[in-house]
Amino acid sequence: MSLIPGFGMVRGMALTLRRFFEPKATIRYPEVKADIPPKFRGRLQLLYDEYGTLKCETCFQCAQACPIECIDMGGMDTKGRFHVHWGPPETYGERREESALRRSGRPVPDPAYTHFEGLDIRALDGILESFDHDPAHMLPILEATQAAYGYLPVAALKHISQVTGAWYATIYGTASFYGHLRFEPPSQAEQAAAMAARRPADADFMAGLGASLAGRPGGDA
Amino acid sequence: MTDVAILDTPANWPAILLPRAAGGKASAPAGVAASAPAGGPPAFDGLRKAIRDLGPTATIAAIGASGLRGRGGAGYPAADKWRAAAGTAAKGRVVVANGYGADPASATDQVLMERNPFAVIEGLAIAAFAIGAEEAIIAVRTEAASTIRILEAALAAASKAGFVGPDVQGSGRRLEITIRTVQGAYLLGEETILLKALEGKRGQPEQRPPHPATRGLRGLPTVVHNVQTLAAVPWILVHGPEAFAKIGASDSPGTMLVQVRGPERSGVAEVPLGTPLRQVAALAGSVGAGRNVKAVLVGGPSGGILPPSALDTPYAFGPLRAAGAHIGSGSVIVADDRACIVDLARVLTRYCADEACGKSIPCRIGTRRLSEIGDRIAAGTSRAGDLDLLTDLAADIVGSALCDHERLATLPLVSGMRYFRAELDEHLERGSCPAGVCHPMAMAASATH
Ligand SMILES: Cc1cc2nc3c(=O)[nH]c(=O)nc-3n(C[C@H](O)[C@H](O)[C@H](O)COP(=O)(O)O)c2cc1C
Ligand code: SF4
Ligand code: FES
Repeated sequence: MSLIPGFGMVRGMALTLRRFFEPKATIRYPEVKADIPPKFRGRLQLLYDEYGTLKCETCFQCAQACPIECIDMGGMDTKGRFHVHWGPPETYGERREESALRRSGRPVPDPAYTHFEGLDIRALDGILESFDHDPAHMLPILEATQAAYGYLPVAALKHISQVTGAWYATIYGTASFYGHLRFEPPSQAEQAAAMAARRPADADFMAGLGASLAGRPGGDA
Repeated sequence: MTDVAILDTPANWPAILLPRAAGGKASAPAGVAASAPAGGPPAFDGLRKAIRDLGPTATIAAIGASGLRGRGGAGYPAADKWRAAAGTAAKGRVVVANGYGADPASATDQVLMERNPFAVIEGLAIAAFAIGAEEAIIAVRTEAASTIRILEAALAAASKAGFVGPDVQGSGRRLEITIRTVQGAYLLGEETILLKALEGKRGQPEQRPPHPATRGLRGLPTVVHNVQTLAAVPWILVHGPEAFAKIGASDSPGTMLVQVRGPERSGVAEVPLGTPLRQVAALAGSVGAGRNVKAVLVGGPSGGILPPSALDTPYAFGPLRAAGAHIGSGSVIVADDRACIVDLARVLTRYCADEACGKSIPCRIGTRRLSEIGDRIAAGTSRAGDLDLLTDLAADIVGSALCDHERLATLPLVSGMRYFRAELDEHLERGSCPAGVCHPMAMAASATH
């Protein structure tokens, strides 16, 4: 605040005037092409290496970094564990569409989001309440949600995101990292066994190690 | 896994972590009864001494004088972490007992927590007192149901006796210990990742520095210790740092729990650090008649594969690292001549690559390429220069890794190449597997060269 009344306003107007006479930055696209940085891809595309292996490792780094959640990963992660969708740019288009639709307030057509309307969130609200809506307890929140609903419905993740203020992509990234969390409804028995058992990856490792020491090939090559 | 065997050790080996019963054997199995060891909590003399006689600074000095190094694998001096945490200005400090026990083949930490839970709790309380922490966490695997029940019972008994709670032994200091369960990935054992999991985030490591000791859980200075490190602390205060420093190797004093696996038997044993690897491996019994020891895998999934000629190496941090292995999870696995080193290295590397978190490029791509090289050698489809590529790649990974996991993930293949080169060459050049385990294809090998 300046000491002379009205001086701040004059300063503001001076800036406006200066900008008014500056050259305009509007580019007459597409007649004139913008000066684009060399690494700009225009649209997101997944690349292949020289042996034809997809370079994306579904690590969710990009999805987590993207501030407006327009990127999400598709396909299988390195353990073939979960299934979203990948491919050409449409991969991400689908995700964008969902946010766009949601912003415009219309129902989202993707079947993956049909739970979005139907979920009874009372149990979830209870869980969130008990953790003080604190995103620092995300893992126990997700575990309790899975215990309550049998799996992690997309709608529940969205609700957790809204209530705790943590980004959906971060929550999804967390949830998809841990082998004991799942996005599809399992049978009750499966569920109980999965939470109590050692990880399948560990069991596989022990089996492979045992086979290797006993002089048989340790797991499929 | 409550039924882990405790192996008999020579009677003159000291017992610090697993107290021995009258008969000289390590304490009786805790069984599935899942309660704290009978007789209630011990007197917590170490904690009493820290509070009444020593005070925080002298307590840290005593731990420093004992030479105690972290049992979580890397062997970092414990007192240095405590000093760093105590010396950082902060609103609060935290001590975390790492009881995750990442290696599926090693039950050492679980055995300790089940048979001597009070030592872990007392060590935690002493560390908290020394660095000025009011919050402490014991992190355990969710699947370890009986361990959790035993810890809970022990913690309840310790709180009731006033060793934990709003006023620890009349010192005016508050200490709250919580048992937190985590599960879902091998890497959760790594300290920065464990802290992430405790914060409810994805299990990926953080760049260091800042080390957790200055900036850890929720930004607070956090001392993370393996449960064995903590369990040694009360013993040191009660018997004196000099007594501890005299045990084991001069640069790695004390004892450590080792998970030994061999053809004859497997189990957990308390071993003085610096004991020759030969004696540690011998705890697993001898290999079957007509068979020979071919290799010893030291350190867990990311361990090194050492030849019989390395059996004189002292079981201690420095010497093992120099030999191309590491203490790691405290696992020592004896392989006889049925095993193929290439196949073994391949299985280990693949597990490490599968478990890599994907945060950094050496982790995401490097471990994947390593494991592919292992697969190719075993399958006889290696490309020209694969061994040079392996050497280069391993050096690059070690040089640029974000966390130790990918650094150590190079050990199985690199130690395999260092000590068992002839066996690798058989696979590469002749397309044959001397142990008859792999089925490399000679034709494919020559076609791609
Ligand atoms: C891949 C990986 C896995 C680890 N797993 C464990 C573990 O299961 N338990 C543990 O105590 N430390 C583990 N560590 C070591 C921890 O990062 C950390 O160094 C240790 O908990 C610190 O305790 P200390 O000072 O007592 O050694 C692991 C490290 C790496 C790189
Ligand atoms: S998930 Fe994103 S950042 Fe990670 S590899 Fe794939 S494209 Fe790259
Ligand atoms: S395991 Fe991914 S950075 Fe170390």
